[in-house]
Amino acid sequence: MRSPLTRLSPGDRALVRRRLRTPFLTFLALLALLAVNVTLGASLPFAHVWIVELAVVGLMVAIILLVSMEVRKEPPLIRLFSGLGFFWVCILFGMTLTDFLAR
Amino acid sequence: MNSRGAAHHDGAKVGIELAHHFETVEQQRYAATLGIWAWLLTELLLFAALFLTALILRVTHPEAVKLATGHLKFWIGAVNTVVLICSSLTMSAAIEFSRMGWQRAMVRAMLATAGLGTLFLLLKGYEYYADYEEHMMPFLSRRPYELHESPASRLFVNLYYVATSLHALHLFTGIGLLLGMTWMAAKAGFLARHQNWIEVYGLYWHFIDLVWILAFPILYVVNRGA
Repeated sequence: MRSPLTRLSPGDRALVRRRLRTPFLTFLALLALLAVNVTLGASLPFAHVWIVELAVVGLMVAIILLVSMEVRKEPPLIRLFSGLGFFWVCILFGMTLTDFLAR
Repeated sequence: MNSRGAAHHDGAKVGIELAHHFETVEQQRYAATLGIWAWLLTELLLFAALFLTALILRVTHPEAVKLATGHLKFWIGAVNTVVLICSSLTMSAAIEFSRMGWQRAMVRAMLATAGLGTLFLLLKGYEYYADYEEHMMPFLSRRPYELHESPASRLFVNLYYVATSLHALHLFTGIGLLLGMTWMAAKAGFLARHQNWIEVYGLYWHFIDLVWILAFPILYVVNRGA
């Protein structure tokens, strides 16, 4: 059992860098997108800023699903399962809001 | 032990102990992943209904929702989002270390994840305390409600407590499960038999993060300009 935290060989350091590159880039992307939303929420630069904020959230959710939860690497059945859940949520939101927004 | 598909990396042996009702390790791995996704989809529908209610309240009572949102602790919510994004990084690191067979690093990453989850709950607790001090708990019948002149705001504030406390309950459960799994994962031979447990649990943790990624903008952010 080895710890990457103490006395890593150059080979181990390269291995850690290679294996943690994607999680770290994902982390940076999520922080950057959160910074965009927090800035927009704090400053409210224009009237319909919520459209941009929800678009940013959609991007964050897609990154978590595809990269952090590794859906893109899963076999077709699991990809279908994970996608279907959000498909049903879209139907739920779409049909309900159609009623309220059309009144 | 019927261990098939095991592989050696730089550290501990990594693999999955084949259960008798599966034909191959890959079949067992996919079944476990599909199972956790089935559970996560039920959770998604649960939280989606709450978020949909928040959006309907925004459409039907925009002024009351904006008034109530003005009393939410926007910056604590933002910091808590950063905390959960950090915990997703440590969870991803734990999964990678488990695949590499670096058991001690994996255990430390799991403990860091649990620590960050606990920090989130502490900040959430402080936020609730601040809300209590500001008389922003309309469900307390003996305590005056700050926005009593806006009855519709009660709907949004109550929904805020239901959604955030439900998320906090999931996080609390998740921390308990994570600590239990960390205790098991620290034992010799764990990674040789149950490496995929870390990956399956990681999906749950990332999903809790995903729910908050949705909750923060829907409750705290988009309604500021309603």
